[in-house]
Amino acid sequence: MGHAVTLVKDSAPAARKARPAAPATAGRPGRRRENLAGYLFMSPWIAGFLLLTAGPMVASLYFAFTDYNLFNTPKWVGFDNFTKMFDDPRWQKSVEVTAKYVIIGTPLKLLLALGVALLLAQSRRGQAFYRAAFYAPSLIGASVSVGFVWRSLFSDGAIVDRTQTFLGFHVGGWVGNADWALYCLVALTVWQFGAPMVIFLAGLKQVPKELYEAAEMDGAGPFRRFWNITLPMISPVLFFNVLLETIHSFQIFGSAYVVSNTYCGPADATLVYTCYLYQQGFRNSQMGFASAMAWMLLLAVALVTAVLFWSQKKWVHYEEDTR
Amino acid sequence: METSRNLERRTILKAAGVSAAALGLAGTTGCGGGSGSGDGTVTIRYSWWGAEERAKKINRTIALFEKKYPKIKVKTDFQTYQSFWEKFQTQAAGGNPPDVFQNAVTFLRKYDKRGILLDLKSQVRAGNLSLDHFRAGVTKVGEVDGKQLGIPVGSNTMALVVDKKLFQQAGVEPEQGWTWDEYFKALKTIHDKTKIAGDTGYFTIMYLYDLYLRQNGTAFFTKDGLGFDRADLTEWWTDGYNRVKAGIVTDPKTVSQDLPKSSLSARHGASEFTWDNFTVRYTAEGDSTYGLAPIPTTDGKGTGQYLASLMLSASARTAHPKEVAQFIDFMVHDPEVGKIMGYDRGILASTEQYAAYKPTDTVNKEIAQYETDTAESGVLGTITPHPSGADTIEAAFLRIGGDLGQGKTKVADAVKQFLTESEAAFQA
Repeated sequence: MGHAVTLVKDSAPAARKARPAAPATAGRPGRRRENLAGYLFMSPWIAGFLLLTAGPMVASLYFAFTDYNLFNTPKWVGFDNFTKMFDDPRWQKSVEVTAKYVIIGTPLKLLLALGVALLLAQSRRGQAFYRAAFYAPSLIGASVSVGFVWRSLFSDGAIVDRTQTFLGFHVGGWVGNADWALYCLVALTVWQFGAPMVIFLAGLKQVPKELYEAAEMDGAGPFRRFWNITLPMISPVLFFNVLLETIHSFQIFGSAYVVSNTYCGPADATLVYTCYLYQQGFRNSQMGFASAMAWMLLLAVALVTAVLFWSQKKWVHYEEDTR
Repeated sequence: METSRNLERRTILKAAGVSAAALGLAGTTGCGGGSGSGDGTVTIRYSWWGAEERAKKINRTIALFEKKYPKIKVKTDFQTYQSFWEKFQTQAAGGNPPDVFQNAVTFLRKYDKRGILLDLKSQVRAGNLSLDHFRAGVTKVGEVDGKQLGIPVGSNTMALVVDKKLFQQAGVEPEQGWTWDEYFKALKTIHDKTKIAGDTGYFTIMYLYDLYLRQNGTAFFTKDGLGFDRADLTEWWTDGYNRVKAGIVTDPKTVSQDLPKSSLSARHGASEFTWDNFTVRYTAEGDSTYGLAPIPTTDGKGTGQYLASLMLSASARTAHPKEVAQFIDFMVHDPEVGKIMGYDRGILASTEQYAAYKPTDTVNKEIAQYETDTAESGVLGTITPHPSGADTIEAAFLRIGGDLGQGKTKVADAVKQFLTESEAAFQA
């Protein structure tokens, strides 16, 4: 997914328009008009945000504390929906499945992204082609059709099954196997390593060459150079990638939904959190419970994000710190 | 590229808590719906579930309707069963359900309780829709508490759909009145001789368990609850699990991989309990020849079967009740429509359509024969509309039964889980 790059680029265009062209104009009467024009330009986005994001969020916060089946008048039940979650074996299962997915999938994806970025960082012929080629899966990976392709790749008698059998171990198709189905989704997300890879590449380009030259003269081998120069130098980028990919992984829905043919099975093996949320809300008419689940997810993601931010003091080196 | 970038940006915003937003969106879907125009032409929305084949046929019938009623335009929409009801629920919650839609007995009370269904009696009285000329008793299926909430387009009954080639190969011949013991013995014979499981997962099918319970004097649902207890279901699922283990019932692992195909048409099982009109679908989907066999019995006689039906229902909020009633009337009574639809949605319900369509192909002939035979054998009972929540319970029965078959859940836990979920579904 290309979100990381675009976050940096995209999140500010409207604000940029609102900003005065040069500091010289600051404080002049024209400033107010310019601000107004700026807000005017932003208005479609603001309206969209209020109507499609903020409004529904407030509504869902309210629903989270009610018994609501989409048709009745929501009935206030306090924290019932939240306490019910902890007694619900399927909710527990969905937490377990999602945690597994995040914990296994995210590091694998980032490792692969960093590995490929290191290879692609060296200048050689056809570099642009390779970058594009490795990035491509990220563009199409989230689509429904790739979900279908994945489903057929990992079915009984399909290529993955046959390759495994050829290599001497037989597990059959992964899609229908409750012990393996989740790894099918992990494989799908790892395959889409293009976005973090591009960010790593950008990070690697920023590392001053002199550092390597100096280290080499001091006799540092490739591994030491990587460990003592590359890694600390790109640690802000690494942090950024870890953060985004983790948050993103928590929200997995589409691939689980499509690869399992909408059931997030078998035997709830791919019942990721959002999938259970969806089932409760839209299949079982438990919209109050589903809303509570959504807020619980928000809290969990916020907590994980906070922990990550706290941890960066220990391992992320910003340029001004390095002397 | 632009759109995908925007999408990506939204993904980021989501990081701040979108799942919550997505949910709330459900509340905003209730827009649109203006459907009148200056020259008196009205547009009605019609949606149904089913496969591509059904859509092609329905579109032809709509062309006929629009020719006869040039002032009424019909906008269509169709999905698969599950998606249809998810979408329908969302639309209905937003106050914008389709004007007319396909319906089934499982959903009548649920959406009646939520005030979504139009009582068509008023339109019958107004002369826009006729309840005459229906085959005996079929309109009863659409009645709830004295209201006519659905008009049947076709009737169907649960049956055992069999892969005829595999049955022949194994030398198994089902007979009316055969018992469960004989049936399970047959499954074993099939498995021994063809290496293919005899059945695709009978113990996960709510409608079959219903028949079994009916053979024993109860039913799956009472008017407002379940008609069986923990011990009953434990026995039913324990037996089912043991039969998966024994290989005579298809491994649920395989079943879930075959989706959206049936394991019967994927040749991973030799028979499947389902609605009799499904042979049409399986014949299109699979390579073998498919036929219908009688439901096994407990006492050698009663099968517990009843006539169910696909219906057309109307939205209580439609702005054009008259036009909708005319549409339904045309769709259920017009002989040409009957000829086009055939038995795709069950045996044609009105006598006009029943008379107009005489099947020429084996599959449809057999469906007709099956229902005639079943009716003549005197086993047909009556169906009471399921309580609200039955659809969720049907899905839970299938899902939990499948999990059980995978060996991932113990029977006792599965039963407990099912009862908990049923309780929640009735209350929702």
